[in-house]
Amino acid sequence: MALELIGDILRLTVFAGLALAGILVILIWIRNLTRNVTYLRFFIQAVSVIAIFYLFTLPSWLLIFVGVIFLMTIVTGRFFCGWICPFGLYIDLITQLRKAFKIRYRNLPEKLNRALNKLRYVILVFFLILPFLLGPIEPWQWPLALFLTGPFKPITVLLGPLEPLIIPWKGGLEFYGLDVSYPYVSDIIFYSSGIFVWINVFVFIALTVVSSFIVRRFWCRFCPTGASIAIVNRFRGFKWAPVLHINKDEEKCTKCGICKRVCPLQVTEVYEQKGGKIMTSMCMLCFRCVEMCPYEDCLKAKMAGKTVFKSRNWLGPSKIE
Amino acid sequence: MKSNDERKYIPEISQKEIEELRNTIKAASIKVMTENIERMKKTSTNRPEAMQYFDEISNFFGQREKEIREAKEGGKKVIGYNCMFAPIELILAADAIPVRVGSGWYDASKLGDRIVPVEVCPIIRSTIGAKMIGLSPYLELSDAIISPLTCDGMTKLSEILADYKPIWTMCTPRVKDDPQSMIFWRKEINALKGKIEDLTGVKITGKRLRSAIELRQRATKAFRRLQDIRKGSPVIMGRDAMLVNQTSMWDDIKRWTEKTEELCDELEKRVGQKIWACPPDTPRVIVTGTPMIWPDNWKLPNLIEESNPPGILIADELCSSDRLLYDPVGVDEWIMDDMINAVAERYLMTSTCPCFTSKDGNEDRINWLVDKIKEFKIHGVIYYVVRGCILYAMEYTRIKRILDRMNVPVYYLDTEYTREDVGQMKTRVEAFLEMLQARVEI
Repeated sequence: MALELIGDILRLTVFAGLALAGILVILIWIRNLTRNVTYLRFFIQAVSVIAIFYLFTLPSWLLIFVGVIFLMTIVTGRFFCGWICPFGLYIDLITQLRKAFKIRYRNLPEKLNRALNKLRYVILVFFLILPFLLGPIEPWQWPLALFLTGPFKPITVLLGPLEPLIIPWKGGLEFYGLDVSYPYVSDIIFYSSGIFVWINVFVFIALTVVSSFIVRRFWCRFCPTGASIAIVNRFRGFKWAPVLHINKDEEKCTKCGICKRVCPLQVTEVYEQKGGKIMTSMCMLCFRCVEMCPYEDCLKAKMAGKTVFKSRNWLGPSKIE
Repeated sequence: MKSNDERKYIPEISQKEIEELRNTIKAASIKVMTENIERMKKTSTNRPEAMQYFDEISNFFGQREKEIREAKEGGKKVIGYNCMFAPIELILAADAIPVRVGSGWYDASKLGDRIVPVEVCPIIRSTIGAKMIGLSPYLELSDAIISPLTCDGMTKLSEILADYKPIWTMCTPRVKDDPQSMIFWRKEINALKGKIEDLTGVKITGKRLRSAIELRQRATKAFRRLQDIRKGSPVIMGRDAMLVNQTSMWDDIKRWTEKTEELCDELEKRVGQKIWACPPDTPRVIVTGTPMIWPDNWKLPNLIEESNPPGILIADELCSSDRLLYDPVGVDEWIMDDMINAVAERYLMTSTCPCFTSKDGNEDRINWLVDKIKEFKIHGVIYYVVRGCILYAMEYTRIKRILDRMNVPVYYLDTEYTREDVGQMKTRVEAFLEMLQARVEI
């Protein structure tokens, strides 16, 4: 047991080392200032996918991980959605594919976008009461071993987007000896029966792939996991809570509209708000707007009052301030 | 040139009269240009050597005219534009030469009086006059003119110029931040793209547009570098920097970028050696308002920097100078669609022209000014308006209120396209600068 624990710690250290090395390589490699954060984000997402794969092999670690995520989100908002979530990575990769084909994306109407943002709470409530609709809970279902299929199912629905493409447990499609899966697929299998299992799975995969090809980060606009994360930001008492947030300087802003256009979630608050803290449950803190803003110091990513990243003249900094 | 029956505005003028007028005004203009440059050299004893190039290129009847003429003979098209709203990236992508044709000739404005009343903005009158006698080489050489319908003057100017040249009008929406405005403006940009393609016979592909955008981004980089240098103690006179900014309107943008980078290198060296263009405690002035166009309309910058006590023009909020290249086109995805969106947004949204309003009024302009005043440590603002420029004149009250709150003195200076009021203006500018000098000393 102790040996296993040491093994896990070693593995995690290797991950951390890899991550740091990768960040360095990327920062040297990417000269283009308008893509720095995007590639950094890709890298962190990829490392997180591997980490999450290992975490799925250890349910107890997974539980701790879930706890950490939820505690973290109280102060960092939807940082998780933008930088860690594996489903987000897949959607981003589909977007990269679309870019390679030089096909344009579509924007949703703003009203629909806001409606979808509200819809996520409906989905969340639905999944929380679903097990009670399916039948009574038996005492033998309580053990942690049944974490992935038991009455904790509503919680695992929230873990849906974390599902890696290759899973360390049986239950999905077997492909050359590998268990293949896709976000939410194990949940769909759990709730469907008979022939509908595979129909539902393939319809779901087709829909998400096609929709993310057309609309940037389509799923993230109503993902229930995003709701659980964003929920704390909605209460007034928690105004202090988001330690990580975007800050805007009104006077530097020329309202050029770049922040609005580049936002993958079509958040308009960064553009519309007159300045100060930007607090919206729609923002997933990918910092694409901060990266693309061409006015120095106009947008800032702030962590606990300290600026971690700010918009700069990405055309190239001048030597003299 | 259309025949007399087809023309709507321009009266019949005998060829002889045109020749005569052109020769007199051209001779006067050359004199004014050399005189202005002489005065600039005289004020600034250690003028950067790299300014040599800009002095030469600023000559309307010199090297650049010859170059454009040769390029035109080689089959290139020249597309003129009246106003900053014309998407230059599209012109460059179609392998055409963009030149701004707005005129700053005082004498030509007298000719414009024959067609439009004197109440009209002198820039419009001067452009008409310059066209009547074929004065401006860039206006003459252009195959078509893009005319954004920003203010009332520009709207009618496009009609009058249509007597001579094909005019492509672009209707700008008056409210910037409405979603429907952007849809409309994007369509205007797309329509213009079609027109440019038809004229030049070059298809604007994604690759071409991308290289044009990147070319302009590099120019923006050099441009911003120059403005950043001006933030510190004065190492370049305001007029010199203004001339550099203005030449970008007709110069080959690639060469302009290189030369500006050279100038910046030289200036940075001077910052290191602490060689200032004028004493660092000279009152720092920002000018806002109607565009000032080389060569004739140079009287206010001349007055500010040659007056006693002297001031220095540290920055300005003019669409003929500091606003020209300040904003880059920010492209998210290098796809045709997004590139067009980015170009459209850059020209409409970043503009601080008072022809716009928005939910909060034209607040962008105030933000720009306030930011500049803080960043460039400005002591005073000169609000420059030519008679007839109603939009700028009307915004004065609002700007003054904001600046009063900030305790920054602002001076309203209205003038005309004439040399007659220089003496009177001098007294006014000197009084203002004296007051600023007193404030600086405190």
